[in-house]
Amino acid sequence: MKILEVVKKQSRGCKPTEPLIFEKHVEHVVGVDLPPLDVQETKVPSGLAGGCKTLPSFGQHDVMAHYTHLSDRNFSVDGNFYPLGSCTMKHNPRVNEWGAALPGFACLHPLQDEDTIQGALRLLYETRTMLEEIAGLHEVSLQPAAGAHGEFTALKVIRAYFADHGQSERTVVLAADTAHGTNPASCTMCGASVQTVKTVDGQTDLEHLKEVIESVGAENIAAFMITNPSTAGLFDANIKEIADIMHEAGAKLYLDGANMNALLGRVRPGDFGADAMHYNTHKTFSTPHGGGGPGSGPIAVTEELAPYLPVPQVMMADDGSFYLDRDREKTIGKVRSFIGQFGVLVRCWAYISACGPNGLRNVSETAVLNANYIAAKLCGRYSMPFFDPKNGKFCAHEFVTVPQDLLDKGVTLIDITKRMIDYGVHPPTMHWPIHDCLMVEPTETESKAALDSFIDVMLQIADEISSEIELVIKAPLESDIARADEVAAARKPIIAFK
Amino acid sequence: MDYTQLNSTQRQEMFDAIGIQSIDELFDVIPPEIRCEEGLDLLPALSELELQRAMAEMASHNHGAHDMPCFMGCGAYDHFYPALIDQLISRGEFLTSYTPYQAEASQGSLQAFFEFQTQIARLTGLDIANASLYDGATAVAEAALLSTNTTRRNEVLVASTMHPEYIAVLRTVLSDVNIKITMLDATDGCIAPETVEASMSDNVAGVIVQSPNIWGQIEDWDACFAEAHKTPKTAGIAVFNPIACALLKTPGECGADIAVGEGQPLGNALNLGGPYLGLLAAKESFTRKMPGRLVGMTTDEEGRRAFCLTLQTREQHIRGAKATSNVCTNQGLMAMRATMFMTTFGSEGMSEMASQCWHKAHYLAGEILKLDGWKLTYDGAFFNEFTVECPCDVTKVVEFCKARGFLPGVAAAGRRMQGLSKGNELIIAVTEKRTKHEMDALVALLKEASL
Repeated sequence: MKILEVVKKQSRGCKPTEPLIFEKHVEHVVGVDLPPLDVQETKVPSGLAGGCKTLPSFGQHDVMAHYTHLSDRNFSVDGNFYPLGSCTMKHNPRVNEWGAALPGFACLHPLQDEDTIQGALRLLYETRTMLEEIAGLHEVSLQPAAGAHGEFTALKVIRAYFADHGQSERTVVLAADTAHGTNPASCTMCGASVQTVKTVDGQTDLEHLKEVIESVGAENIAAFMITNPSTAGLFDANIKEIADIMHEAGAKLYLDGANMNALLGRVRPGDFGADAMHYNTHKTFSTPHGGGGPGSGPIAVTEELAPYLPVPQVMMADDGSFYLDRDREKTIGKVRSFIGQFGVLVRCWAYISACGPNGLRNVSETAVLNANYIAAKLCGRYSMPFFDPKNGKFCAHEFVTVPQDLLDKGVTLIDITKRMIDYGVHPPTMHWPIHDCLMVEPTETESKAALDSFIDVMLQIADEISSEIELVIKAPLESDIARADEVAAARKPIIAFK
Repeated sequence: MDYTQLNSTQRQEMFDAIGIQSIDELFDVIPPEIRCEEGLDLLPALSELELQRAMAEMASHNHGAHDMPCFMGCGAYDHFYPALIDQLISRGEFLTSYTPYQAEASQGSLQAFFEFQTQIARLTGLDIANASLYDGATAVAEAALLSTNTTRRNEVLVASTMHPEYIAVLRTVLSDVNIKITMLDATDGCIAPETVEASMSDNVAGVIVQSPNIWGQIEDWDACFAEAHKTPKTAGIAVFNPIACALLKTPGECGADIAVGEGQPLGNALNLGGPYLGLLAAKESFTRKMPGRLVGMTTDEEGRRAFCLTLQTREQHIRGAKATSNVCTNQGLMAMRATMFMTTFGSEGMSEMASQCWHKAHYLAGEILKLDGWKLTYDGAFFNEFTVECPCDVTKVVEFCKARGFLPGVAAAGRRMQGLSKGNELIIAVTEKRTKHEMDALVALLKEASL
């Protein structure tokens, strides 16, 4: 039997592999039915008729089995410690899913009249005002679909502002050498060029910043995109000074909000001089990552940038009703269809409402505490360039380690991370923002037992490197597959089944 | 509840391990003048029971496709999807996983996305597809950039009959990158091939035509793309409806080089406009310039079939400013829903669904045409959506029906549709969910409204 042969050949350990749906197709069997047609038929003209005939199908039980088996081949926040730096893989409360699935939210057509969707508009308006308060900025747009989309949108807003003020030549955007890759990519999408600013010990090099401004010419600079805490997991103590430098140059300070989990209720970006920022609701506000999305990337801006925000904007009228303003005179226009990632924003509203102001502050405090605890426990074996608690040098909500001592014993960083998979831990972010580093972000929702267990895993791997190095070099030994050949995948890409 | 899990004893143990007396020491680095000492001005925390009550209360103030027969379309459709999708998608292994960068810990997501890519490639009649973009509108913009990046030309021709919001997003995306948009005017609600011919030049990277278009009319992709192809390398870009692809000629069958569309009809709820998913398929020659994530099939070191994200050197986290797009987070869970939908129905089930849409839409159009003064705005072929000219003010018709528990369609005039029309058009969509009973009731309401 063909399928059994495939399963036997492909399976590792006792868990069977799952054949592709294309290998499971059963002629004339489908997983669900429709009611019989209740009107007369109208012939489809032969010139138009056609259509795809090659999508496989099989019975409903096997559909359930297929996806249940696939789900069994995935790490997740629900089932695993997931310390993925910069991604804030916190617990996803199920009441948020419950709310988003209510028919009164899930079954609304985006072009319905406003009088039929007052509850939804109220939720959006409240989300907007909550995010304005958390940012300490004047106005939020809920339109962007994800963080990178938020960057793009905010940069468009900044460019529109300058164009409107006779400064169209401001087309250069500064970004730290440790910036997220989306920062420069978003600049390109906006027709802006990028100048890199160096960092020293994970902090912006102020002297280099001034040099770059000098050499590019202050009058050509639109903004500086900065991540704070930085991607090295450190608060930039000079952030206010950086804002002042940018404002003196006539430019804007843009905050990449990826690391807002360390600031919630402790620092508001508007208070340190940020002019614009984006949130990642799927990081900070616990909307699920969903295997790569959906996210949502609301942006917050100052009063002077607000007229350029995308449309539509959710507003409250004098009579307390809610409406969508589609007529902003100076708007950059639309950045996606309809009114944003509504279903994601329902979850965001629920999360912020569950936490409340004190809870949000406890979120950032606990996230920072958890990261420092792990760092303190591991720094003896995993060297940490920026962490020195005895001298008051702590990390924020994440830390980086460059385990050079371990690497010198003959393993690579990838070996270490693949061994983590054998212990049920999702590998941290690696080789970024600096070479040969691991970036660990435990988040605030892990229990102390989970933190201690992770610490034990990391110490165990360090021991194995000394005692049984093969275990690490050949890892993962117990995952569904051995290491995937990514080089071959890129050399001769197979991205559709033939 | 803030979902943290530490008690005070544990906190103290952790303070001791770090060597601090209080949590504030960890935040000492933040200059005092920028600290938020007074706390956030937000409402106090809600317990889960209060949260459920509050959300149910807000939801109860909304009316939509759950309590009114919905004949609205224009890019978002009230299609049926089987209950198993909500059940399967709730599995935490899918819901709470990250982008599958770590292949060995993500074979489930990777295989599902590989299957999704293949399904979308087959559905569109093209070679390859990516693992999703944000929505239909942003997918159109990415397709335009794909055509300009591969040809190094800086003009795209755009059908004026495309969804006005897609056009609006395209204008925003292309406005600062020196790419010219030339609009193709419509003749009788469609784009005539001669109109494409008249605007073609060596500078045109792509010709973008949506079918069915905003009026529901089926465009002549074959002829439009044939005109485009008279200039070497110009891409025919089809903006498609995935359900229609199960019944009508696919973008590939009509000569498209790139196909993009809104994937919401594939098992995703209306959700007031999002989260949806953008679909992007193309001929194989575009592989290395594609925007967004791609899953590839490979082997592991021991020779087993394996899946991994591939061609990542196209992407922002490797290539930075030179990436093919800035997209990072995509719509993974929506793509997962779409692949579950397509697997459950297969071609046979989807073709049945598409046929029912066709038959029902044509039945309803026929019944409306029997009413005095009502006529079709355009005579061309349509799939599941058509446009009628109301004999009275369309907004009154909409209000009349709404007051009687019906969403009769989308009025083309007004701000919502970006001033698409100043006329009295009502755009009516019919999915397989609409019954004869509902359609007959709508016809009676339209008649009454226009008396």
